[in-house]
Amino acid sequence: MTANGWLQILFYSALLLALTKPLGVYMVRVYDGSLRWLAPVERVIYRACGVDPEEDQHWTRYAGGLLLFSVVSMLVTYVALRLQAHLPLNPAGLPAVADRQAFETAASFTTNTNWQSYSGEVTMSYLSQMMQLAFHNFTSAASGMAAAVALARGIARRSGGRLGNFWVDLVRGTLYVLLPLAFVLALILVQQGVIQNFAQYVTATTVEGAKQVLAMGPAASQIAIKQLGTNGGGFFNVNSAHPFENATAISNFLEMFALLVIPAGLVYTFGRMVKNQKHGWALWAAMFVVFFGGVTTAYWAEARGNPIHAARGVDIVASADNPGGNMEGKEVRFGIANSVLWATATTDASNGSVNAMHDSFTPIGGMVPLVNIQLGEEIFGGVGSGLYGMIMMAVLTVFIAGLMVGRTPEYLGKKIQSREIRMVMLYVLIFPAVILIFTALSAVLPAGLAGRNNAGPHGLSEILYAFTSVTGNNGSAFAGLTGSTDYYNTLLGLGTLLGRFAMMVPMLALGGFLAERKIAPESAGTFPVTTPLFVILLVSVILIVGALTFFPALSLGPLVEHLLMGAGKLF
Amino acid sequence: MRDVAYIALTVAFFALMIAYVRGCERLGREATGEEERP
Repeated sequence: MTANGWLQILFYSALLLALTKPLGVYMVRVYDGSLRWLAPVERVIYRACGVDPEEDQHWTRYAGGLLLFSVVSMLVTYVALRLQAHLPLNPAGLPAVADRQAFETAASFTTNTNWQSYSGEVTMSYLSQMMQLAFHNFTSAASGMAAAVALARGIARRSGGRLGNFWVDLVRGTLYVLLPLAFVLALILVQQGVIQNFAQYVTATTVEGAKQVLAMGPAASQIAIKQLGTNGGGFFNVNSAHPFENATAISNFLEMFALLVIPAGLVYTFGRMVKNQKHGWALWAAMFVVFFGGVTTAYWAEARGNPIHAARGVDIVASADNPGGNMEGKEVRFGIANSVLWATATTDASNGSVNAMHDSFTPIGGMVPLVNIQLGEEIFGGVGSGLYGMIMMAVLTVFIAGLMVGRTPEYLGKKIQSREIRMVMLYVLIFPAVILIFTALSAVLPAGLAGRNNAGPHGLSEILYAFTSVTGNNGSAFAGLTGSTDYYNTLLGLGTLLGRFAMMVPMLALGGFLAERKIAPESAGTFPVTTPLFVILLVSVILIVGALTFFPALSLGPLVEHLLMGAGKLF
Repeated sequence: MRDVAYIALTVAFFALMIAYVRGCERLGREATGEEERP
């Protein structure tokens, strides 16, 4: 670990803190409707779609709108990918996307996952990238933000189960937050050297005289929104390790920063909406504690390097001309600090884009991204999904605290009783159930085992990571698993759908149930949710729930691999 | 044929989710009844 590395990590954290409030305040105004500078555009969209923007929807109707929008947009994407060869903006003459991949891709992008079992540059036409994938990058992010805001409204008011208007939240989140930020970021990325064109692929002659085809395309516009919307994936197969996708140290920092800036701002927005800003900051603090713990652990593991490399004569000590540590699978332009910071941020958020290959991290370094997703990606998290995931854990925390002191639990003035806890438990249990059942199936079925690139515990880690990634709607890959098969495309596609919608529904139900409850004033028996004690309890609940659920699987994967690495055995 | 299967799978999943919404609503109602019982 170097002072330079730590300075970059601390600068990243400080800037995140600095932008949380301004962006949070802006988003409050977006979702309370007071920001009107794009009102004419809004009116046209509502009129064209037959939406009544004044309707205050019951949570069931809000959830219905979200599901309807998702199924229609997913089917349109499926059909468009299957017809890609007959559609324009396909200068490379790419054929139709295979049916299994079209299903998985449509599911993956609809759910903000962006798991890709293909190389973008040789599979997707420019039209598919821009009209299908980029469209979902905006709308899936806006849907997540809408759902989080709906839950916040349920907590903040008593409205007979009504949570606002899904269509209005979707449109306003896209128009006022995602489009302007993505536009500005895309311009900066272009200035930094990220490509944005519709040119034919270029055939270049390398220094050795070989011919190499260089993929082109509208990359910057796609990258800006996939980072800001915590969608992830990559325009190119190696994501942001590709110089055309991530050209400079500044583009690297901005792409990495874009991962967490909206989720961090939304935490402030939540505090404002529920009129308890201290609670918003308490959630922010809990998120930051786990985020920093993850960065530190991964940085330590990667900077320490692989003892097997050292035993074979590789210099793993950092010096002026050697980054030291474990540089396998890392971009030399970015080094260890920027690789682990990205890996941590991308899996704290539900992003999944990478600038280094997680499969090549040391066992403990690779376990950090895995655990981050398994904790539910509530550490700032995906845009919207991170916030509502953290709120679910906060409700669970006050419930446990209430049991400890023998009082009816309350969260921000709302009583937490049987029906609320049922929804929280559905939310908490569905996630590991999907991951562990699908992983167990794949660890015994021949079709599942055939996808492994490595044997032993590392092979299990590859399978576990894949299902963790898709169910957590992350989309990052351990890079070792061959996911482009009938079995994996279908099962991983289903995993993304379950991980998104089977968790969103009970979350919106919780919002609806809380919106039916009256707001009780704080009393002496109310567990305070603004204190360091609450932060400690919340972090403990997150870690304990995650550890109890996934520790056995982790023991058979990265943990045993780490111990065997010490004994000189590699997989 | 496989296209039809994948489209049917997608539609079936979202139909299941609509039923899930109704199930959660019913679960909430039942729990409210339990809370209100003396």
